Amino acid sequence: MSDADPGTDPAHLPLLEVENLEVSFFTPDGVVPAVQGVTFSIARGRTLALVGESGSGKSVTSYSILRLIQPPGRIVGGRMLLRSARAGDIDIAQLGEESEMLYKVRGGLVSMIFQEPMTALSPVHTVGSQIAEAILIHQKLNPTQARGLTIEMLKKVGIANAEQRYDHYPHELSGGMRQRVVIAMALVCKPELLIADEPTTALDVTIQAQILGLIKTLQRELGCSVLLITHDFGVVAQMADDVAVMYRGQIVERGDVRAVLKNPQHAYTRALLDALPSRRHAALQSARAAAELAPAEVKS
Amino acid sequence: MNAPNGHVGAVTVQPLLSVRGLCKHFPVMSRGFCSKVVAVVKAVDDVSFDLAPSETLGLVGESGSGKTTTARCVLRAIDPSAGEVFFRLPDGRMVDLATLPARELKPIRQHAQMVFQDPYSSLNPRMTVGDIVGEPLVIHGLARGEELEVRVAEVLARVGLKPEHRLRYPHAFSGWQRQRIGIARALIMKPSLIVCDEATSALDVSVQAQVLDLLKELQREFRLTYLFVAHNLDVVRNFCDRVAVMRKGRIVELAPTTQIFAAPQHAYTKILLSAVPSPDPDVRMNFNVGEELAKLDAAPQP
Repeated sequence: MSDADPGTDPAHLPLLEVENLEVSFFTPDGVVPAVQGVTFSIARGRTLALVGESGSGKSVTSYSILRLIQPPGRIVGGRMLLRSARAGDIDIAQLGEESEMLYKVRGGLVSMIFQEPMTALSPVHTVGSQIAEAILIHQKLNPTQARGLTIEMLKKVGIANAEQRYDHYPHELSGGMRQRVVIAMALVCKPELLIADEPTTALDVTIQAQILGLIKTLQRELGCSVLLITHDFGVVAQMADDVAVMYRGQIVERGDVRAVLKNPQHAYTRALLDALPSRRHAALQSARAAAELAPAEVKS
Repeated sequence: MNAPNGHVGAVTVQPLLSVRGLCKHFPVMSRGFCSKVVAVVKAVDDVSFDLAPSETLGLVGESGSGKTTTARCVLRAIDPSAGEVFFRLPDGRMVDLATLPARELKPIRQHAQMVFQDPYSSLNPRMTVGDIVGEPLVIHGLARGEELEVRVAEVLARVGLKPEHRLRYPHAFSGWQRQRIGIARALIMKPSLIVCDEATSALDVSVQAQVLDLLKELQREFRLTYLFVAHNLDVVRNFCDRVAVMRKGRIVELAPTTQIFAAPQHAYTKILLSAVPSPDPDVRMNFNVGEELAKLDAAPQP
């Protein structure tokens, strides 16, 4: 396949194209296919939400993009073409485990925010030093400059007293603060793609609203694309431009967020939307209204 | 019957549970060898509410708002610092759980049970499902031998598990099935009150709906009363008759569910509701809650 149609501006090509991704887990009891023939693309500056229940393969898909699948799991097929503005076209699936380029992709071109910030942060290093480490690995800066940039980034993600917070350990921060630190760490190297794997699932609604708002603002500022992994259709509706619904390792429906949520085509998407408490509430209300209307109609 | 004086909320019938001025204060100690109390954290501060029989009261709030501490004080899992927790026994007697000596408390515990949030940590991995579900009966000396077996099988069937499941261990079950085990363990005591502490928070939406449906069915069948602690407002909206919104240890608003959602009175409730991401892309959520909450805190308290 040629890289671009003649006359098509490369800037308009998707940043990431995943084609027929296959990931399987080779267990002693047999091969478990976790992701089967998944195909999607993410446009520059846009947000794609990958939504599904636990076990649907959405996290395995996102881990594959960073090549974080551990044995017994293995990417067995497909390609993941990243059209980096900084490093050219890269097929992430083909990169060697120890290659320079893979290190450049991880945390440099593509970075990730995890659900539970404590798993992403080292408990024995200060939050500042952890962010500075990412800078020193991916950018040509000296430690003093890295410290300055870290403090600037901490301020940007809304952490008050950033100079003091630099020397704090993760356990000294609240859950929302930790997630802000993780976001700072993920975005400090100006990635072209940010993968956010259930970034607010562990947080309260008011903190969730602030973190989601922060991700939106920083995305606009940096112009990066976001792959948002979530099971919450509310988060999908508020954050994403496009959505892909996963079920049992396959994408069952994909499209513009408004189109999919307002007019789902696949039975599974419909079932999932109908299971939402708010939808059930609406259904209950209309059923009640119908029941109350019925006798009135008889009367008149 | 000397019912507790004063009414909170819209309860007109004799309440099953009546909480008055409940407080739980934790001392903050200074560091060092000669530590002394330097401050007090008011985890629960003057909380009052009534719960009618067969009613579901939602207790919502963010982490740290004191909703779980309130629930635990109600069941006397922890001792409240002050206040009264009147609980009506099946024979009509009213007892104050907050002050009852431990010896008298034990027989009463069978009437008030709890379903926990995390179905992974609340089930002993070394016990079979049958032993877990039957344990409360054994502890209270209410059944043994064949009768115990029969009652365990009955309650497992009622929550939708198979009789052979009682020989298996919790690890063999999915999160939703484990939550059924937790519900069976509470149900086997034939309680009148069940405190659900974030009972559906760890589950996927599709399963969450099934747990809520099961709880509703059981409520109708056994005339159960629920104190439903949750942070998910969507779940509360669908499940509860009345909702108490907690913040910083206090109930800021207590009203029927429809009223809370249609016309919230307290500024905090309004902010909380606006922060919920709507699954309708045309209803925009409020990303600005941080500043609004700060403004609320800066405003003089009435």
